[in-house]
Amino acid sequence: MALEKIITSSSDLKKNTTASFDPGAEGNWDIVIGPTNPLFNFQFKEIWSYRDLLRMFIRRDFAAQYKQTILGPLWHLIQPLLTTLFFYVVFSRIAKISTDGLPPVLFYLSGITCWNFFSSIFTGCSNIFVQNAWLFSKVYFPRLIMPIGNAIGALLRFGIQLLLLLPFFMYYSFNGYDFSIGWSILLLPVAILMMSLIGLSMGIIISSLTVKYRDMTIIVGFATQLLMFATPIVYPSSMIDSESLRFWIMLNPLTSVVELFRFASLGVGTVSIAGTMYSFAFMVIALIVGLILFNRTQLTAQDKV
Amino acid sequence: MITIKVEQLSKQYMIGEQSTGFLFHDMNRWWHRIQGKDDPYLKISDLNDRTIRKTSGYVWALRDINFEVNQGEVLGIVGSNGAGKSTLLKILSRITAPTSGTVKMKGRVASLLEVGTGFHPELTGRENIFMKGTILGMRTQEVKRHFDEIVEFAGVQKYIDTPVKKYSSGMYVRLAFSVAAHISADILIIDEVLAVGDNEFQQKCIDKMKSVSTEQGKTVLFVSHNMKTIQDLCSSVITLRNGELDRSNIYYKPLIAV
Ligand SMILES: Nc1ncnc2c1ncn2[C@@H]1O[C@H](COP(=O)(O)OP(=O)(O)OP(=O)(O)O)[C@@H](O)[C@H]1O
Ligand SMILES: [Mg+2]
Repeated sequence: MALEKIITSSSDLKKNTTASFDPGAEGNWDIVIGPTNPLFNFQFKEIWSYRDLLRMFIRRDFAAQYKQTILGPLWHLIQPLLTTLFFYVVFSRIAKISTDGLPPVLFYLSGITCWNFFSSIFTGCSNIFVQNAWLFSKVYFPRLIMPIGNAIGALLRFGIQLLLLLPFFMYYSFNGYDFSIGWSILLLPVAILMMSLIGLSMGIIISSLTVKYRDMTIIVGFATQLLMFATPIVYPSSMIDSESLRFWIMLNPLTSVVELFRFASLGVGTVSIAGTMYSFAFMVIALIVGLILFNRTQLTAQDKV
Repeated sequence: MITIKVEQLSKQYMIGEQSTGFLFHDMNRWWHRIQGKDDPYLKISDLNDRTIRKTSGYVWALRDINFEVNQGEVLGIVGSNGAGKSTLLKILSRITAPTSGTVKMKGRVASLLEVGTGFHPELTGRENIFMKGTILGMRTQEVKRHFDEIVEFAGVQKYIDTPVKKYSSGMYVRLAFSVAAHISADILIIDEVLAVGDNEFQQKCIDKMKSVSTEQGKTVLFVSHNMKTIQDLCSSVITLRNGELDRSNIYYKPLIAV
């Protein structure tokens, strides 16, 4: 043995190592690891210092999505257009559902764009720990970067799809449709922000549960589909005439946000202060609960996935 | 100067299947917590001897580990399969949190845990170097500065713009080690990944670890089953046995006094 066996008990080891210990340096630890973390420490400062990584993840997701596809980013546009076509045929031509006086194509296209945005943030965030196990099990970085990156990526795709509304908008304007959009357009960022934060919060709450109970992934899959029908996407909420049904639809925090979005972008929508406040309160509470849960779950998530 | 201080570190794992039974455990645990009592499942778990059939479904992968590491030291961690070596490194790398106890560290940590260390298979070697560098907290500019060095040490120049899924496992480790060794971290944590590298590269890695510790004052934690490598490289060695520190097997070769 090249090494000399000179220490036989851990107390000896301690003595030996503290001999060369610089007492002034005690307490200046950069990293302290313990079994839990403070309840409200969300590491925003650390996340900011990792902004290069955030940028990289967003770029990577964007590029990786369309690797080995022929049409590439064009899919961003084809998918909503095709869905719009089907919605138009099924809900407008066959079922004859009202579109709040808006041209049906524009009504569905904006609804789908809006819903895609929400569901891509929500489903993306809800699977964060399982999907990124290959990375999370090998390297440390503030895990919250992933849901944030996911939300920003969805925002970019949403931006592209929003531009798709423009040609239709102009087409209908030239053909004599009078859109009553004025200052209401200023509400658009509010609607988008609320939409993304609600999606993110609900997503990270689910992601924490998914780690332990894999049943959640299955639930999320069909729940987002069902949730779309509980949100005024293919119908306007002005169409609901039963009081009790209206109550249930309004209970969905997304209802007011979607109506707000439609009001801001197309000038028609059932917007109420109370409804918007309700969605806002929901967003704040879900965000806090989500951050706390996520913060706790990330500590040992890798043991379970 | 002490750069790593591990105090009373314990890690409990659940080794049973996830099932409705654990839903009950979760609720029971939660109920105990509300009443201000301790987690009931911390008491029943077993000492981790893999040759004995378990009954409780919980094991201590690590139990009451205490040690300190000085700056510039190369600490070898040895022990048989399932002794808890990787678990210890995972806790130090902040992949998972301990069940109790604390770890305190000074400086930035770069780790290489088992094969496949966090490279994205679809991305090229170049893209992965940048990703890994930024993950370790470097700015893009810093990674750029070290880029050529990293590629040269790894010796994968030809494949640098190829997706890493097309690499051989040795090439994979070459690149991963090279990234970890060249970026500006203060503590380098290496789990037994070098075994797949060829002899020449293994020797190169050992020399590199020696030089980063003696010349750049980095602290290295190194797990290996190869006692010859451990002897050659490490200034001190700890042994884990069934999740506990084997007190009769601590070797310490003092470095030049820090
Ligand atoms: N995610 C996990 N869930 C449950 N048990 C785990 C998990 N990871 C590790 N263990 C258990 O913890 C113990 C220690 O495992 P660890 O990987 O640390 O061993 P090791 O010393 O690295 O062994 P090896 O030499 O084979 O790499 C083992 O008994 C293992 O079964
Ligand atoms: Mg191991």
